[in-house]
Amino acid sequence: MYDVIIVGAGSVGCAAARELSRYRLRVLVLEKGHDLCAGASKCNSGMIHAGYDPIPGTNEARFNAPGCAMMYEICDELDVPYLKNGTTIFATDDNGMKELEKLLHYAEINKVRAEIVTPPALYDLQPDIGRDVRGVLWVPDGGVTNPFTVTFALAENARRNGVEFLKETEVTGITKTPAGFSVTAKGSVDSIANRPARASSDPSSHSSLYRSSGNTDSGLRDSGYRSSEYRNSEYKNFEYKTPECESSDGTLRFETRMIINCAGGHSDVINNMVSGIHYHIIPRFGAHVVLDRKLSAKLTTTLMETPHDLPGGGHTKGMAIIPTLGGTMLLGCDATEVGDPDFTDTRRESIEQIVDYFRAAWKDLPLGSDGSPFPEDSIISIFGGCRPHADTNDFVIGEPEDAPGFVNAGGTESPAFTSCVAIARHVAGICIDRLKAEPDPDFDPYRKVKKAFRDMTNEERKAAIAENPDYAKIVCRCEMVTEAEIRDAIRRPLGARSIADVKLRTRAGMGRCQGGFCSPRVLEILSEELGISPLEVTQCGGESKVLCGRACGEGAV
Amino acid sequence: MKEVNLVVIGGGAAGMAAAVSARRSGVQDILILERNPSLGGVLQQCIHNGFGLHRFGDDLTGVEFAARYADMVKEMGIPYLLNTFVIALNPDKTITAVNPEEGLMEIKAGSIVLAMGCRERSRNALLIPGARGAGIMTAGTAQRYLNLDGYLPGKKIVIVGSGDIGLIMARQFVLEGCEVAAVVEIMPWSGGLPRNMKQCIEDFGIPVYYNSIISEIRGKERVSSVLVGRVDEHRRLIPGTEFEIACDTLLISAGLIPENELTDQAGITMSGATKGAEVSENLETSISGVFSCGNVLHVHDLVDFVSEEAEEAGRNAAAYLLGQAPSAKDLTSPADDRIPTVSGDGVGGIVPQYVCRGTSKKEVTFMFRPRSRWRDAVIRAFSGSDELFSKKAVALTPGEMCRLTIPAEKLRAASEIRFSIEGTAV
Repeated sequence: MYDVIIVGAGSVGCAAARELSRYRLRVLVLEKGHDLCAGASKCNSGMIHAGYDPIPGTNEARFNAPGCAMMYEICDELDVPYLKNGTTIFATDDNGMKELEKLLHYAEINKVRAEIVTPPALYDLQPDIGRDVRGVLWVPDGGVTNPFTVTFALAENARRNGVEFLKETEVTGITKTPAGFSVTAKGSVDSIANRPARASSDPSSHSSLYRSSGNTDSGLRDSGYRSSEYRNSEYKNFEYKTPECESSDGTLRFETRMIINCAGGHSDVINNMVSGIHYHIIPRFGAHVVLDRKLSAKLTTTLMETPHDLPGGGHTKGMAIIPTLGGTMLLGCDATEVGDPDFTDTRRESIEQIVDYFRAAWKDLPLGSDGSPFPEDSIISIFGGCRPHADTNDFVIGEPEDAPGFVNAGGTESPAFTSCVAIARHVAGICIDRLKAEPDPDFDPYRKVKKAFRDMTNEERKAAIAENPDYAKIVCRCEMVTEAEIRDAIRRPLGARSIADVKLRTRAGMGRCQGGFCSPRVLEILSEELGISPLEVTQCGGESKVLCGRACGEGAV
Repeated sequence: MKEVNLVVIGGGAAGMAAAVSARRSGVQDILILERNPSLGGVLQQCIHNGFGLHRFGDDLTGVEFAARYADMVKEMGIPYLLNTFVIALNPDKTITAVNPEEGLMEIKAGSIVLAMGCRERSRNALLIPGARGAGIMTAGTAQRYLNLDGYLPGKKIVIVGSGDIGLIMARQFVLEGCEVAAVVEIMPWSGGLPRNMKQCIEDFGIPVYYNSIISEIRGKERVSSVLVGRVDEHRRLIPGTEFEIACDTLLISAGLIPENELTDQAGITMSGATKGAEVSENLETSISGVFSCGNVLHVHDLVDFVSEEAEEAGRNAAAYLLGQAPSAKDLTSPADDRIPTVSGDGVGGIVPQYVCRGTSKKEVTFMFRPRSRWRDAVIRAFSGSDELFSKKAVALTPGEMCRLTIPAEKLRAASEIRFSIEGTAV
């Protein structure tokens, strides 16, 4: 019997897991995706919103500003990098200036630091801003982080403190029981996603993809695989725990006292399984365009247009240009209603809308105010996903009247990522009170990660290579990611199981060539670390196998 | 800090040829830095033939072509480090590199030849919308999986772009028993060599859709189909022209981009037209003693010309090191001692970007790609209204590089060297 089952391992679910791990509770997180952070959290821009725009009195306003402060706090505890670079909302006409006044008013009520700055003071604040900009709302507490790094860090810390996780496990039914709830799900406790990475003691048992042909030197190549290093490493703290469930025919059944619903785009479905007080998610798709890092020198703060109300209710914060921690820049995003909350295809209309907007607005922004045109050839990537907008036009938080023990943290559209810790503390608090949970004296709030090779000084690099020569093997040349870091990303608790998982954890494949050079090597390392054939390695879980079969097989001439 | 007379960054076709020719020109102390586990660069995965006809007079595979140069490197005892990745290049010609045996090393070079090659344009750089699952990769990545690793990355293939790697892979997939459903090219012509269009596409009856783009990729976890639509004269999709082709794999073969991250990092002046360094007729960059050649300088059509250009770079680096080149003086000479090359009608980015008026060379070779297709064409070089040179060509196509060698004497009085193409557009 679990004390709490959390449905969904996005930022809110993983934050809730970590909050509960401070107490002596048995907690399980069920995630439908092949990896954590598979839904709205992954497609998020990573902006830490200060809380100037939610309408006062809403849940969004209630959790955003406190959540912003908590986000910085947990980033420090969990060794997650962030930029506290401030947010600049700019206006180029009278209507825009009126909007800024309204936002300033909201900011005051929401207790968010903000001020309207107009020329000439504006040019001291932002020397490169376009001369058509009439004024800005300057919000110094806005920031940027990586939504996936935050989510993985929260989950890893929760795991370190005893929370169990199952990936590729989709909740299909919830029924009331005398003690709480019975949860059924589709999934497998020993799938690749849920197995620990394992190291073989015999390197020759792995197919070496790197079969050389023609004139080759084995040279310095080291295909040997140091399993002892794995066994003696820091990873032993995260021993695999068999989940407590009944299993038959791919159906799992778990018993729990309480449930927290953090299912994002599917939070309505989960709620409606338990409560008669229904709500519905309206998935709102948004895309981001990624620009190469060579342009980033001139962009420090995040710049946004003024928000727009949307016909379906609620609003969008509008188009923004956001510096990322990796040095690239994000442009976006649009807000388009689509039927499927899991929709992540990039839409032509979205790309055109974003590129057209920035082509026109470029002259107002620091990168284009000198007259340089919009750098279309610097676009390196596009991604998108759906915000889970609830038809209540707000976060859905707390226990429905007709379902005590079932706690919602749903409808988590923006600013839910910024608010995730604040929401988590609130919903975890409900469980802790109800279950009369006692604090766990062994709770360790900290997580320490090794600095990325690309961020190290040369002295630090020398030391890292001396300790582990895999640091001298650069796998992703665009983002300078080493083999040591890729192996670590796989071996870590709740580690990478697919090429996309490695990318989110290390940036390998996120650069200019978009994985063209490194993905074959990443595939090979995954195959070694997971003890599976290269044919089984997936792009992003499920049936997304990268390779179809052996060459020179049936049908070959 | 280790000191080395000549460091060659990259041990592919260009790097090996540069090192070999520098040694022949008298440089003893050379070091090649190669990031892969073997010399040869991308040629390692080119198991098809057609290499070496110009350079060796033999029809070789890419692997064999690379082996010829690798053998020369080894016979001459030229040192090289494999698995060695350069992480920094500084304007003072110091280099930081890492490999698992020596860790992090810093090298002070007397001269440097940049030979890092190029990369392929990705699906996202082309702004192809749609699904993001498995089954989408560049043609070169597919070539690597198939030829080096022995795995098939797909069974029913659509190729976007008609670059040479895509054309070669189309044929190879057919020979592997796979189906190549279409080649989709945005331009009205192929971006590849005419011989590859003939031997890899036409001979196998593979349908080619010109003036067309992939307007959407469909599928969930893996590609299941693509939508192909026609474009107007501005290369924009014409609504209503789209049709669906079922496939499990989309290969991208739509252009190569020189990999100049290190060049940029060193602050070397770059050319927007070629995406490579700006170089003199000596292939010397804006940093004295740093030379660039091969696909990192500009994307070539044939490896034979990569090697030829790299050998020239190696000779020039040797001359610089042995004090035979007036290079350091040229760098500080007034701008009017540099004669710029200019792209006129129908002419793409030109290498070299300028010629030193006092060049010690007897002749200068200019290279560029035509912007479109022509027949019965004449390529002319002008300075103002004075014609410096002309050459007839039966047919010109963007897939093939134009190479013109002009005696230096004809250039010395020029204020600029403007190339243009006249002829019948096809």
